[in-house]
This record gives sequence, structure tokens and C-alpha cells, in this order.
Amino acid sequence: MPQLNTSTWTLTISLMIISLFCIYQLKMMNQTLIQITPSTEQSKLTKHTLPWEKKWTKIYLPHSSHQQF
Amino acid sequence: MNENLFAPFITPTILGITTLPIIITFPCLILSSPKRWLPNRIQILQMWLIRLITKQMMTMHNKQGRTWTLMLMSLILFIASTNLLGLLPYSFTPTTQLSMNIGMAIPLWAGTVIMGFRNKPKMSLAHFLPQGTPTPLIPMLIIIETISLFIQPLALAVRLTANITAGHLLIHLIGSATLALSSISMTVSTITFSILFLLTLLEIAVAMIQAYVFTLLVSLYLHDNS
Repeated sequence: MPQLNTSTWTLTISLMIISLFCIYQLKMMNQTLIQITPSTEQSKLTKHTLPWEKKWTKIYLPHSSHQQF
Repeated sequence: MNENLFAPFITPTILGITTLPIIITFPCLILSSPKRWLPNRIQILQMWLIRLITKQMMTMHNKQGRTWTLMLMSLILFIASTNLLGLLPYSFTPTTQLSMNIGMAIPLWAGTVIMGFRNKPKMSLAHFLPQGTPTPLIPMLIIIETISLFIQPLALAVRLTANITAGHLLIHLIGSATLALSSISMTVSTITFSILFLLTLLEIAVAMIQAYVFTLLVSLYLHDNS
């Protein structure tokens, strides 16, 4: 079994580490699986409390409401 | 026909210079990363495949386990592309090297185990003893379970090595038998050739299945520990 010859092990393992843990992961970063990882989960939309939200103002008046009569 | 059967598994050299760097880093060129608005057909196929595997493999994990998505997906693509490229004639398969598989298996396994001990030490320690063990058996079982825990990465590495090596050996044997028989009897040679063809199809399947199995087992260890 030439696989058990340990003289090439260091080179094989170090190249595998570079390839698998660096190159492949950098390439996979561009893929769409990013959407599934939780780190890029969309943050919940914060509610904007605006001063005119509670009370009735002209902003809320529908433009065409007077035309119905 | 005096050549060594294991000769294809010796790491190749050209003029005494090892070609391992090219061989191990070459498969990543297959993965194309979309840089334009519209991806081409190969990229769409690749995206579809990656999404399929991701959904298949990562839905069973909780939020902590899903942080490993990038790692596991690059692992399965790395092993699958290396295996499949190794099936080309006159090519060398790095996954037949025990060193590379051990180098892949041990860090990933250790990562899951350390994560388990760090986040859920009670649960991880509870894995050492199945529930409802008779008291006299407890010391024995703990030893057995500890050994089985530490044998996991070795089993992972040896499984991949043995499967790929066995497949390549079989193809080598049947291929040389076909060649030798062709000068004796054409009919028998045709039969062996059809067996060789079917075996090659099997090996293509095995190349992908072994990548899936390796990743699935790492994912299983991750699931136990997250």
C-alpha cells in the first residue's frame, strides 16, 4: 500500500487544508447558500413611531374620498 | 504484466517534482462563481445542485448546526469533484490517500466534539453511557463508548479510502483482463468489456455516494453535538 508511505503525508495534508478550508470555502461564499446560513438572516423591521401616526391628519385623508358623494 | 497493482496510488511526480499541488487544487476550477447578472446554464445547474444538497442536509440542524453550512457544502463538493476527476483515465485520485482523508476527518470530527463539550457538556458526557445499563457493565461500557468515539474519524477516513481504492483496483483489474482477453477470445473480451462499462457507471455513482456519506456522517456528528 503506497498510501502508508508517510513521506508525502505532510504535503498532501497541507495542500488539502489549503484547498478545502480556504479555496473551496472562498468559492462557495459566492454561491446562493448564503441565504440559508443564519448569520445573514434578515433583521426584523423596526417600527417607526412617527408623531402623526396616532392622530387623524390630512395625510391619512384619501385623495378621492370626497368624490364619492 | 509485472506492474504493481498499487502503482496508480503512488503520488505522481514529474522529473522528481511532485505534482500534488496541481492535482489537489485543480478541482476547484470546476466550480464557477457567477459574476454577471444572468448565470449561464452550467452555473444554474450548479446552483440548483448546491441548493438541493443544502436543503437536504441542513434542514435537520438547529441554528447552531447551520453555521456549518459553508463547511459541509464545500466538503461534499471537494470530495465529489476530486473523486469524479480521479475516474478519468491516467489521472490520480487524491482521495485514495489515507493521509488526506484522515486530515479531513479529524479536524471536522474534533470540531463537532469540542463544540458539543463546550456548549452541552452534560449531553456530551451522557453519550458515553446508554440509558438503562446494568450497574456491573457500566465501567466496561464507558470504555467501549470512549473507544468508539475516538475511532469515528478513523472509520470515516478509512471508509472513503477503501471504497475509492477498491473501485480503482477493480477497474484496473477488469480493464487489463479485457485487454489480455482480446487477443484470445473476442466474445469473452466483449463480455468483460460490458462488465467494465457497468463497473465504471457504478464507480461514478460510488464517487458521489461516498462524498455524500462522508458529509452526512460529519453532519450526523454535528447533529449529536449541537
